[in-house]
Amino acid sequence: MAENEALLQCRVCGCLSHAPTQLKRFEVMHCPRCGARLKLAQQSTSVEETWALLIAAAILYIPANFLPIMSVYMLGAGQPDTIITGVYHLLEAGQWPLALIVFVASIVVPLLKLFTLSFLLISIQRRSRWRQHDRMRLYRITEYVGRWSMVDVFVIAILTGLVQFGNLARVDANLGSLSFAAVVVLTMFAARTLDEHLIWDVAQQEEELT
Amino acid sequence: MQTILYADLIASFMSVSAEPIACQECGQLHRYSPLALGKTANCRRCGALLYRNRPDMLDSVLALTLAGLTLFVLTNVFPLLGLRAQGAEQELHLLGASLAFWDQGYPLLAGLIILNIIIFPLFELLTLLVVVLTIRYHWRSSTAIFLFRWMREFKPWGMLEVFMLGVLVAVVKLGDLATLIVGAAFWSFAGLVLTMAAATTLLDPFSVWRALGKNNG
Ligand SMILES: [Zn+2]
Ligand SMILES: [Zn+2]
Repeated sequence: MAENEALLQCRVCGCLSHAPTQLKRFEVMHCPRCGARLKLAQQSTSVEETWALLIAAAILYIPANFLPIMSVYMLGAGQPDTIITGVYHLLEAGQWPLALIVFVASIVVPLLKLFTLSFLLISIQRRSRWRQHDRMRLYRITEYVGRWSMVDVFVIAILTGLVQFGNLARVDANLGSLSFAAVVVLTMFAARTLDEHLIWDVAQQEEELT
Repeated sequence: MQTILYADLIASFMSVSAEPIACQECGQLHRYSPLALGKTANCRRCGALLYRNRPDMLDSVLALTLAGLTLFVLTNVFPLLGLRAQGAEQELHLLGASLAFWDQGYPLLAGLIILNIIIFPLFELLTLLVVVLTIRYHWRSSTAIFLFRWMREFKPWGMLEVFMLGVLVAVVKLGDLATLIVGAAFWSFAGLVLTMAAATTLLDPFSVWRALGKNNG
């Protein structure tokens, strides 16, 4: 096996297969082991797709934070809360560990994800070789941490499912929770579409193509 | 026993020593060579784990999967949390928590949560069962390959441990407001989260893919 032979790696199962020297238009390759779709480097639309998902997530981030996500009514009184007022109420009640969890999961993590993925995309587009190790680690952390943002959506689900005592006490879900969940889902998709191998081989691929 | 194992290792070494493999993290090429029991191989460029040779991996994963399926059933049958306020009582099951958004007029969210905490975790458990049995009994592996592939793709969308954190947050939040009853499913749910985390840690995807690839066709 020659090191520089054109080998394609399946992203799902890791299986290596020989890249065809020429590919017909619209011809699709599949992994010989697991059947997942294989793409040549020049067929990759990873960067464009990730940008599209990120921009959509960034737009939805605004209503997610300004629309109320949940309303708590006690004895008929109460008002809708946004993510931030919810954190504020928790702080007021002295439940600062909860306030911290919600603040980190619902505000810091989505924002951080939007920024780190944009940063990684820009560095890939500029074909940067700068600190590839650290950028890879940054990607892994971003990919891992993203799903924990769903915690707020789950809390709303549990509270609305449990606290339904009519006029005595009631918790309702509001539109903000939908756009917030959409932000989480879109950024998770964005992290998945971003082909992290591009961090390593952008420069290498250029050499191979010429 | 020891000698047989050793001969086995040498045999597999002779036949596949030149097999090229690539790091899943960074794409760096390596040559596969079998490992001694309990050892791991790492990528020389990025340090990521390439593959491991765990003793009794299949048996441990099988045991954990069966335990997980039992806990999954218990978790879905019994109530997770209960709330008592002025004589009235509310109970919440796992499915009820998923459907809460449905009642509120957000079917999309309800669908997402059902996938996150019921469908994908169940799919993962059943896939593990099929995969382990396929490798153990040398069945034809096309079904197992199909299932394992999709399980790996869906993996981040199964969110039992995130939901567990959500339950804890909700418990603390409601703690001062009303009488909270922790249901039986709460404990089986905690067990389920631990079991599935253990199965994920024990399972070496590389070894599974290699074994499934051999039985294929
Ligand atoms: Zn594959
Ligand atoms: Zn590597």
